[in-house]
Amino acid sequence: MTKETEKFEPRIVGFLCNWCSYAGADLAGTSKLKIPSSLTPIRVMCSSRIDPVLVTTAFLHGADGVLIAGCHPGDCHYDKGNYYARRRFAVLKKVIEGLGLESDRLRLSWVSASEGQRFAEVINEFNEKIKKMGPNPIKVKTSL
Amino acid sequence: MNKPTGAVISAKSSTKKSIIDFLEKAMDKGVFDAVIVPMRVPAGDSFAYVLIKDKSLFKDAFPIPPVMFVQGAKAVSSVTRLGKGNMKIAALMRPCEIRATIELAKLGQTDLENMTLISMDCPGVLPTSDFLSDPEKGMKQFDEAAKNLDDKIMRPVCQICDKSSMMAGDLHIGTLGAKKDTFFVISNSQKGNDILDKLGISLKDNIDSWHAKVKNISEEKLKKRKKAHKDLKSEIGGLDNLLDAYNQCINCHNCMRVCPVCYCRLCYFDSDNVKHPSEDYLQMAESKGSIRFLPDTIFFQMGRMMHMSLSCVSCGACEDACPVSIPVAQIFSMISDETQGLFDYVSGRSLEEPLPLVAYKEEELHEMEDAND
Ligand code: SF4
Ligand code: SF4
Ligand code: SF4
Ligand code: FES
Repeated sequence: MTKETEKFEPRIVGFLCNWCSYAGADLAGTSKLKIPSSLTPIRVMCSSRIDPVLVTTAFLHGADGVLIAGCHPGDCHYDKGNYYARRRFAVLKKVIEGLGLESDRLRLSWVSASEGQRFAEVINEFNEKIKKMGPNPIKVKTSL
Repeated sequence: MNKPTGAVISAKSSTKKSIIDFLEKAMDKGVFDAVIVPMRVPAGDSFAYVLIKDKSLFKDAFPIPPVMFVQGAKAVSSVTRLGKGNMKIAALMRPCEIRATIELAKLGQTDLENMTLISMDCPGVLPTSDFLSDPEKGMKQFDEAAKNLDDKIMRPVCQICDKSSMMAGDLHIGTLGAKKDTFFVISNSQKGNDILDKLGISLKDNIDSWHAKVKNISEEKLKKRKKAHKDLKSEIGGLDNLLDAYNQCINCHNCMRVCPVCYCRLCYFDSDNVKHPSEDYLQMAESKGSIRFLPDTIFFQMGRMMHMSLSCVSCGACEDACPVSIPVAQIFSMISDETQGLFDYVSGRSLEEPLPLVAYKEEELHEMEDAND
């Protein structure tokens, strides 16, 4: 058992805003900061593009964690998309939590294009947390 | 608005009859050109919403029928979804139907400009299947229960409805706390004031007994509601319980189709977005061992919660329409209280309150950011 958890390499889906967090992730990469291989980045044009249903898709298909990252409040390329995104995320989290599922597998963070270092911290911290939580139990449920 | 004011109307024969007289008089005076009301069907064993133009048909009108076959908001939006038209229409419905109508107006699916919404104190509705098994008996039981404010035979969500007298429309008809053979007409908007003015009804009567009774009932129901939600959460909460709860779901999407506030013209879950090539299913089956068909049952439920729990009015229509008796409405009422609570929002409470997802505050929900514990 312990051996299994040790071996466990999470799969994390990251919805990253093109204008900030995706660039931040890029910068982290070019700066040779350590980014866990568990991350599957998906580039979106704004954090507000992320319908909770997309996150739910990833979650129900067994992603161990889902990260949503966008520009810092006030810095959204489309002015206020991230404020809307934050509200949607709140609903998403509430529904998951309300159903007694693991809402801790979802994370929202703001990372700007120049914050390569911060991006690396966010994803490593999240990755560690997910490792501790273990695999998403939904993965093995057939009756979804 | 301040505390709404009202008038005491004395009922000539029955309250029902007097309410209909009130509508008829309003049509005579040209205040409304037509009225949407529930009507008893000729066979006598069922009820339907009708749009009445011909006043002689009022004799079959049936305010607050024992069942809700179609959620009233759906009737209103069918009439006005393409725009307001030039007729002045009044709709007499239950509070949850009015609230759903208001949500639809905010969602751009109905136009209320020429519409007057009239709500009534609601004793609940019988589950459709209970009623259909013996309509005659159902009718009697309903009358009896309504008279005694006994909600035990009503829909489970009616039993925990703390908004059964909520005024969200223009006018409200109150029967609670009224002396024998009287009822209250209460105005909740400028439109409501103007209408009563035209009808020569002045809002000067004391309606404190109504306010007091309503307060009393809703507080009691709210307590019951919280407890019921807590119990439900321990019953269906958690992955395994949740899967069990929906195990019998046949994916018919009835719950979505009858829901007044499921607003999309094409549901995401009926779209090609959720249809995948067979290789994808094979791959899923490979990683899970097997996968269930029809797929996406829980996904559909969760998607619906994410999309419309903020507008859910806990009416119970979904649960009544579920052929396999899944307590969908109870689950939705539990989740929607939580999601609406995030924004201090109450669906259908007011037309002016913006839908939470099209509004924001710069400083809010910081606990959602970077949460990592
Ligand atoms: S989800 Fe069910 S209870 Fe909520 S508004 Fe729709 S039909 Fe009514
Ligand atoms: S479930 Fe979502 S996509 Fe489908 S009709 Fe309801 S709100 Fe629209
Ligand atoms: S009505 Fe019942 S069976 Fe049909 S999709 Fe909804 S929950 Fe499933
Ligand atoms: S553009 Fe980055 S969050 Fe809107």
